[in-house]
Amino acid sequence: MEDIKQVKTVCGYCGTGCGLILDVKDNQIVKVRGDKDAPVNKGQTCIKGAFAYKYVHAPDRLTQPMLRKNGTLTKVSWEEALTFIAEKLSYFKEKWGPDSISMFACARTTNESNYITQKFMRAAIGSNNIDGCNRT
Amino acid sequence: MGSNTTEAHPIIANRMKKAVRSGLKIIVVDPRKIDMVKSAHQHLQIEVGSDIALMNAMMNVIIMEGLYDEEWVRKNTVDFERLKEKTAVYTPEYAAKITGLAPEEIIACAREYATAENAMIAYTLGITEHHCGVNNVFDIANLALLTGHIGKKGNGIMPLRGQNNVQGAGDMGCLPNQLPGALSITDENNRKRFEEHWGVKLNPHVGDTQTRTFERMEKGEVKALYIIGENPLMADVHMNHTKKLLEKLELLIVQDIFLTETAQLADVVLPAKSWGEVEGTYTNTDRRIQRVREAVKAHPGVKEDWEILCELSALMGYEMSYSCSEEIWNEVRLLAREMYGGMSYERLDKEYSLHYPCPDLNHPGTFILHERFHRPEGAGEQASGFVPVGYTPPVEEPDDDYPFVLTTGRRYEAYNTHTQTRYYQEGVKIRQTRETVDIHPDDAKRLFIEDGETVKVSSRRGSVHVPAKITEQVKPGLVFMSFHWSDVPTNVLTINEYDPISGTAEFKACAVKIEKIS
Repeated sequence: MEDIKQVKTVCGYCGTGCGLILDVKDNQIVKVRGDKDAPVNKGQTCIKGAFAYKYVHAPDRLTQPMLRKNGTLTKVSWEEALTFIAEKLSYFKEKWGPDSISMFACARTTNESNYITQKFMRAAIGSNNIDGCNRT
Repeated sequence: MGSNTTEAHPIIANRMKKAVRSGLKIIVVDPRKIDMVKSAHQHLQIEVGSDIALMNAMMNVIIMEGLYDEEWVRKNTVDFERLKEKTAVYTPEYAAKITGLAPEEIIACAREYATAENAMIAYTLGITEHHCGVNNVFDIANLALLTGHIGKKGNGIMPLRGQNNVQGAGDMGCLPNQLPGALSITDENNRKRFEEHWGVKLNPHVGDTQTRTFERMEKGEVKALYIIGENPLMADVHMNHTKKLLEKLELLIVQDIFLTETAQLADVVLPAKSWGEVEGTYTNTDRRIQRVREAVKAHPGVKEDWEILCELSALMGYEMSYSCSEEIWNEVRLLAREMYGGMSYERLDKEYSLHYPCPDLNHPGTFILHERFHRPEGAGEQASGFVPVGYTPPVEEPDDDYPFVLTTGRRYEAYNTHTQTRYYQEGVKIRQTRETVDIHPDDAKRLFIEDGETVKVSSRRGSVHVPAKITEQVKPGLVFMSFHWSDVPTNVLTINEYDPISGTAEFKACAVKIEKIS
């Protein structure tokens, strides 16, 4: 069908690395199947890889930053959230040193985002306090 | 060993089962009668945490019966005598008492593994999530080295990794001791390479692991914690304790796609793009780099992880500016060139996947590591040392008050803290939709518990109410639970004891009691 776009990607669940083909219609993923050309799975998928993709379009996805005000998480602009964090982290770094700040990185995001995560900690914060769920 | 492959890595399990039809023999080492047992040649149903006793006894048999290649061991390994000495006491009879196996089962397994033309050991968290997780892994390496089952096709050690990019996150330097490309942070030349490109002086001291971070949070030394795409409140051991520590922070930042249980405790929550909305690469369990692609446009209110960090970095006075993920990847290729230099997006798009190390554009990638062990002259300077280890029982063993061993893991249709697998496509039949405590029929009968009846499971750290599932998958005295459902937070029960080297917690063994509610 003309209005369905196909996108090749890799599954986001376990570490097997199965190649998938996503059918996309009206900016929604409507079907996922195994990619026959994929060296790892040769077209196969498991139940999670094939069917547990609806979270991408879930109604309770976060869409705006939130800041705790008077004890309650309140929606704010990106500018307000990031300025608040930058000021706090700069203050902690100055007052207690870079090692008063720690980062738990993400085992689900891309290599590129992980590279930037550690560069942020090492170059902007000045700390090697970065780890992930590598140990669990 | 310690891998419920069918449920946690279904596609790898399919390929294993398919290979059985062409003659592969599978030996399952697991305290539970997992699905893979049906396809197995042998099932060693060991006591939880007794892996080292089993492996040392296997090596005892292999050495006693001369089932190893003496010349190969001499040319490629170091400290064989120490291994021989350490494993001498682990006779099959001695190990049988610890593991709950028959001596003959251990002997048979040792002979099969040692004399097979090709053999590999696949393992996962059943090996690592113990107070002796690192020693468990050392012993697997000892076994592979002793028998030469490493460095050639069809052999080796295969840790099956649980997240799509947990391998990549570590490889990219999201570890307290390593820069991208597995370069040690304590080495001056490594730091210099990055300092020159990044234009900053780097901190030369190894940072804190997650475990150490929690310890320093307890002492009040950590003021701010920034968590990206993780739900440690639900996923880490001894949940009540974790919650207290997170609440103690002056600033908790959570960047995620959902308002997870951890995010609900945060001071700032940042909405991130998800899988399906980003471009980039993942590194899978066998060092394979593959491209992930944007399929749908994200909500305009969310940003990609790296975009958020770049904006924050600029606000803090350190400029980071990239136009796309490919530009970031090219910086990785430049700085960690020994590993990724040859892996352009163009090549990955064309060739589908490449295994690192792949240092230049003409390099085919490295499908098999450690081939040095099979040179005619031997590994020489690069010979590998045995690291003999001894068995230590789980930290908390069952007793009169808490008579059951609780072991934890995943279930087929759910994933970790279930924030994503709540959303299946309509019409998919799900077998398990809620948590259960899996208990043996004999134990259930003794406690007058019926299938589906809600019971109270308690450890020294907390308790949960959960329906019982009566199943012969577990042995008498052993119960199993996953940690997928927030209404039954299993990690309230688990113990905060850790491996001293890796900092990994003993998720796989703690003592619990089970009581009827009515």
